[in-house]
Amino acid sequence: MHYQMGNSGSYPLLLLLWLLPLAGAIVIWAFGPQLKRLAGALGSAVVGASFVATLLSWHDGTQSVAGAGANLVGAHQALVSWLPGFDFGLLLDPLSLLWVCIITGVGFLIHVYSIGYMYDDKAFARFFAFLNFFVFAMLTLVLSDNFVGLLVGWGLVGLASYFLIGFWFEKPSAVAAARKAFVINVAGDVGIMFAIFMIVASVHSIAFGDVFGNVGSLSTPWLLAICICLFIGAAAKSAQVPLHTWLPDAMEGPTPVSALIHAATMVTAGVYLVARCAPLWSQNADAQLLVGIIGGITALAGAILGCAQWDIKRILAYSTMSQIGYMIMGVGVGAYEGGVAHFFTHAFFKAQLFLGSGLIIHALANEQDVRRMGGLMKKLPFAFVAMLVGVLAICGIPGFSGSFSKDAVIYGTLQHGHPILYAIGILTAGLTAYYMFRLLFVTFFGSYRGDVDPSDLGIRHPELAGTAHAAHDDHHGEHHAPAWLMNVPVGILIVPSIFAGWLLFGGEHSPWAQFFAQQFPHPTLPTPAISELTTTLIVLACVAVGIGVAYARYATAAAQADAVERLRGESVRMPALLTNAFYFDAALDLLFVRTSQLFGTIFGRLIDPQIIDGAVRETAFSAQWLGTLVRSFQTGLVRAYAFVLVIGVACFLVYYAVISGGLH
Amino acid sequence: MLPMSVPLIDYVALSSVIFFIGVAGVLVRRNPLIVLMSIELMFNAANLLFMAFARAWGNNAGHIFAFLVITVAAAEAAIGLAIVVTVFRTARHVDVDDVSLMKG
Amino acid sequence: MIAFSILAVMLLATAIWTISAKKPVYSVVALLAHFAALAATYLMLHAEFLAVIQLIVYSGAILILFLFVIALLSSGVAPFSVGPNKMPKLAVPAVVLALVALGALSYGVAHLAAPTVTATPGAAPLGPVGAADVFGSVADFGKALFTTYLLPFEITALVLMVAVIGVILLAGDRTPYVATEKQAREVRREMREAIVRGGDR
Repeated sequence: MHYQMGNSGSYPLLLLLWLLPLAGAIVIWAFGPQLKRLAGALGSAVVGASFVATLLSWHDGTQSVAGAGANLVGAHQALVSWLPGFDFGLLLDPLSLLWVCIITGVGFLIHVYSIGYMYDDKAFARFFAFLNFFVFAMLTLVLSDNFVGLLVGWGLVGLASYFLIGFWFEKPSAVAAARKAFVINVAGDVGIMFAIFMIVASVHSIAFGDVFGNVGSLSTPWLLAICICLFIGAAAKSAQVPLHTWLPDAMEGPTPVSALIHAATMVTAGVYLVARCAPLWSQNADAQLLVGIIGGITALAGAILGCAQWDIKRILAYSTMSQIGYMIMGVGVGAYEGGVAHFFTHAFFKAQLFLGSGLIIHALANEQDVRRMGGLMKKLPFAFVAMLVGVLAICGIPGFSGSFSKDAVIYGTLQHGHPILYAIGILTAGLTAYYMFRLLFVTFFGSYRGDVDPSDLGIRHPELAGTAHAAHDDHHGEHHAPAWLMNVPVGILIVPSIFAGWLLFGGEHSPWAQFFAQQFPHPTLPTPAISELTTTLIVLACVAVGIGVAYARYATAAAQADAVERLRGESVRMPALLTNAFYFDAALDLLFVRTSQLFGTIFGRLIDPQIIDGAVRETAFSAQWLGTLVRSFQTGLVRAYAFVLVIGVACFLVYYAVISGGLH
Repeated sequence: MLPMSVPLIDYVALSSVIFFIGVAGVLVRRNPLIVLMSIELMFNAANLLFMAFARAWGNNAGHIFAFLVITVAAAEAAIGLAIVVTVFRTARHVDVDDVSLMKG
Repeated sequence: MIAFSILAVMLLATAIWTISAKKPVYSVVALLAHFAALAATYLMLHAEFLAVIQLIVYSGAILILFLFVIALLSSGVAPFSVGPNKMPKLAVPAVVLALVALGALSYGVAHLAAPTVTATPGAAPLGPVGAADVFGSVADFGKALFTTYLLPFEITALVLMVAVIGVILLAGDRTPYVATEKQAREVRREMREAIVRGGDR
């Protein structure tokens, strides 16, 4: 059964917003040396133009026309046609429109910010070429109208992420982190690939429409297998347990990259995938439960590990992981609107937090260890305001954007009948408040500790703590970028960080619910025992406890007075379980890397040289041996030839005697 | 045809023995002339068999065949001796075992 | 029967003498005796024309050719200066092999069911040796050779001609093929060295 998605037509704006970043990437990559500083302006302008085109396409993306048998929502542009069911086109419906808005909108702000942040980098143009390439790849991912196009975008964003994590490739740690991220992401890609194989085998089409329209014809185990394979890809890209270990390491990339790719957009691709495949998940409760549980575990694990970090970007990385856990939990249990809303608000406030931390890192000459900060409130008041807004938003303080979306997710789990996930959500909210305020207090309160001996602060390897890199340090004294280039994007982001959540205000009649009215399934749900207001109050109580503990430990007058001593004590007493991130790296290393190495060793030492090469060698040797053997007959002695000839004659005669002599 | 006073099988046995005496000569002797003569022995053993069978069956095709064998034997002897002479001319002596240019 | 026994003993004795004689000239003498006995055996088998041919061609032409070559080679020094025997252990297996083959052949022939062969339609009847138009006589043989077997006979002529050309090529003087005598000597020396080298390898 063919199932149409989106109103087919010609949408030049859609093509334009999709291809502009690619053109920008190619031009900047090709003419980087000529463009010099203009590369940043060009890259930003391209993404800005893409954003404008997105806004102009708003009507196309949200149009709803009563079509044959179904309400057609959004715009569909056919591009390439191979076989029936194997076409490639662009689909702009409310879900992809939301993502495109974030990718191009937040992407534009981060591009502008990057002009200031990367001003002194010797590979300025390369950075913007990669960044534009990433935007193109991400747009391909969310605009594709079929699974293969999605996988292409999926792989390309992984590649862009690899380029950008390893942007400072002089640093071995950056190269290692890039490689790790790429390998884990490719493992996820393989998962999606297998899902596509199964989809094609059963539906004979890769188009979203055909797959979703025929979901009823799939057997339950088959559907579960497809969902699991899809989720392996989603988990790898969205840093879900146990495939999350690459995300904290990915912070080796420049801070704008962390903000754009590893917080706002790329890592939420998993959320997009699950939300996009809502028709699949809605048909299989087991798959939903699996995704919900993984999301819950990730949310909690990320929050716990966030409490144990000292690197400002790693704290934010674990918080990102935790928040994506929320989103995945939301879309997993079926609360699609809540999960997607959390993506929406998170994109703003997490970009805000990363860009704010970028201001600090930039001002402190690449210092990233919060123990060596402190008292920055007076020194960097704007960064403080930006970080404060971000922290309040992520903690879910009422009125800030995070509160609406996070409550929607937490309440959604209860609505869909998962009280344990509900409890995890509330607990994680409290932990989030604790570690985010810990970050805020340690960084901005008290007095500056940058001149304290690192060992007094419990920093074991000061040379490893910061990620100061030579390319940046060399030019630090001669800083020319105007401050507004970095401050303005952060300032603009403050607005949606506070107000984006208000779109959810009003429950079923909110603009948000209207926007997605035709996007997601809306089953009728029983009213849970705990009301939404009560849930909000419980969450707030937990958040208050978290903030209180953080205040008591880091922000009281007594704590500020002996901050050095206290930080050292905390660093020293930190449980090994937390400093080693629950030993996930070690476990993955043991499970996959060591086993692969073992197999590699077996194959390299034994099978390849002995059996494969051995077979080849033996072939050659046997030919040589055969040659030697045959050569030995060629003695050059006439009598020897005659002897062999007589042997032949004798054989004939014996045979002749046997057959004619009555022996048969 | 009239029966033979000597059984055919006796001729066959005699011919076979002479033939394999020739074979042994070819294999054992290293003087090319004697090797050639051994080959003549083998030809003649075959001829004897032709004669015996022609007589036994009253069919003179055996005679024709023997005649052809003699012709070929003459040609073979001429060529063989020419080779011996050629080898002698270049090596100043002849020995079957020394003519081994074809050794692999 | 008695005549056959005597001839058989003669044939075997001369054959063994041929292959075991120290000097080739003794071999030729033994072979001559062998051929004479063989001609007598042919007469016993009523093949009078072949008996005569045997004497003329074999004893008269081929054996003389052998003698001629022996005389030619013996004019030099140590013509048959035999080098080391490169297959010294060949004698025993060769004899054993010959005996095995002989045994197999005899066994096979002894148990062979005789095929039904009729006399040649045009063949003459058996009669006293020396009489005209009897089996094996010149007339009988000639009729068969020039009628039924004409084509093989003509091909024999071709074989002989090829043999003659081959002999001339092999044993003839090489000088026409090289410009100077010096060059011819050079070629001969190279060939000699090649043969010696090949033999020593």
